[in-house]
Amino acid sequence: MSTESTSAILRNQVDLLDFIDWTGVECLNQNTSHSFPNALKQGYREDEGLNLESDADEQLLIYIPFTQVIKLHSIVIKGPEEEGPQTVKLYTNKEHMGFSNVSDFPPSDTLTLSPENLQGKPVVLKYVKFQNVRSLTIFIEDNQSGSDVTKVQKIILQGTTVETTDMKGLKKIEDH
Amino acid sequence: MVLEATMICIDNSEWMRNGDYSPTRFQAQADAVNLICGAKTQSNPENTVGVLTMAGKGVRVLVTPTSDLGKILACMHGLEIGGEMNLAAGIQVAQLALKHRQNKKQQQRIIVFAGGPVKYDKKVLEMIGKKLKKNSVALDVVNFGEEDESKTEKLEALVAAVNNNDSSHIVHVPAGSSALSDVLLSTPIFTGDGEGGSGFAAAAAAAAAGGVSGFDFGVDPNLDPELALALRVSMEEERARQEAAAKKAADDSSKKEGESTSQDATMSENVGTSASESENKKDDMMDDENALLQQALAMSMVDPDTTVTARDTDMSDAAADDQDLALALQFSMQEDAKDQSDMGKLLADQSFVSSILTSLPGVDPNDPSVKDLLASMQNQPEKKDDDKAPKEDDK
Repeated sequence: MSTESTSAILRNQVDLLDFIDWTGVECLNQNTSHSFPNALKQGYREDEGLNLESDADEQLLIYIPFTQVIKLHSIVIKGPEEEGPQTVKLYTNKEHMGFSNVSDFPPSDTLTLSPENLQGKPVVLKYVKFQNVRSLTIFIEDNQSGSDVTKVQKIILQGTTVETTDMKGLKKIEDH
Repeated sequence: MVLEATMICIDNSEWMRNGDYSPTRFQAQADAVNLICGAKTQSNPENTVGVLTMAGKGVRVLVTPTSDLGKILACMHGLEIGGEMNLAAGIQVAQLALKHRQNKKQQQRIIVFAGGPVKYDKKVLEMIGKKLKKNSVALDVVNFGEEDESKTEKLEALVAAVNNNDSSHIVHVPAGSSALSDVLLSTPIFTGDGEGGSGFAAAAAAAAAGGVSGFDFGVDPNLDPELALALRVSMEEERARQEAAAKKAADDSSKKEGESTSQDATMSENVGTSASESENKKDDMMDDENALLQQALAMSMVDPDTTVTARDTDMSDAAADDQDLALALQFSMQEDAKDQSDMGKLLADQSFVSSILTSLPGVDPNDPSVKDLLASMQNQPEKKDDDKAPKEDDK
């Protein structure tokens, strides 16, 4: 029964691209010619040649608000082998963070990306921490090779929205 | 109309007592600060400006970013001069103040007035610049006061490190007769604000220059900010060129040949710019233009010549002599390629041209090379008029 419900949740998860509030998305330390739409937006991120690149140093801070409350299940970060991100910290519901206050509070989750992750293998997050997410801040601390520029080719956020999940979940369980 | 929060870093170090900027460096700086605050708040009412001092006992924030102009002007009173400017600390405190701004949607900008010497290393300044860029803070530097090779180099490096897409600028203001605020008016620090700021600046310039009414050109900011901007910019350019012309005239008075060529070149520039001024005006009243240009000349020339003296110079058609000059003249005309309906008239007005000549010290109107120039100028604008006439017909 529990496996049924967990797989039900997995089946229901969607790409949260549609729920991103694009007017509020900010990215600090991005190279203006290689900006965040290259990694986040529908058409751009499929293009292998278009990357989000960092500017002054290798760290990146991406703030993504959502149009409604969501639960985040997993995340896919694709990038080149050398300059792809390695240590990624996620913060939920913290507005307008800067590089100076990333260390002020503990992240909701810390990911260390392996080369497989950079190929597209999703990283499952600590689901309990991401139950009630209004905004997500992705802090890329360093990259695989330690170079000065971090490149991100694609970011996919997978999860469910709060309103719709419960109904579907209930239905599935009732069927069995 | 960019929504912006600005922190202005003032230098109140001992070096500000110097009087090479009138009345003192510190007072010139205070005037410039007032001007900037006004321009920022006018270009967007939601903009906020804050002020801090870099020298004295230590870096001190006088007023946190606010849109209340009165508060800012009030805090500039009773500031004491002393100590040494601490550039790095000043910028870092400014960055912190901006971080805690109330409206997070505002872009962050720091304006630094660097008068005293800079004791920090270039490396340290570059690191600070990179940090500012990382946090998307723009930086404008006004380099005045102490002139020092290393200081200029360091400040240039700092701005280069911060600069992202031309949002950061550095302006060097040498000591001289023109006020610090006036020089800043034409820099990207002001004009980067857009048209609202320039409208304010134009009105301020009128007040500073002792204009008759509140408006410089009888049209100005409230009705037509773009026109005001164009008029103001061309006025500044013309003034600067005429000052250069006056200086050149004084310097080259010994050499005849070299002198007359330089005179002709600068004079052609003068005519070019006064032509551009006239073409910018929508009002086609010849009298108003003349009067205004006379006023502009009078302001910059030592010996104002308001009466238009009719001169009977022989306008012989020997234009072929001065080919290079004619070419230069043609180029300067082409650069002002807009509706030049009045330009032909203006140049054809010999009396006006002659009045310029007589008011230029050191120019002898009876000099044959000057006469040749006048003749060649006659031919050039007539050709241009023919080109422009069909264009105007198309419109």
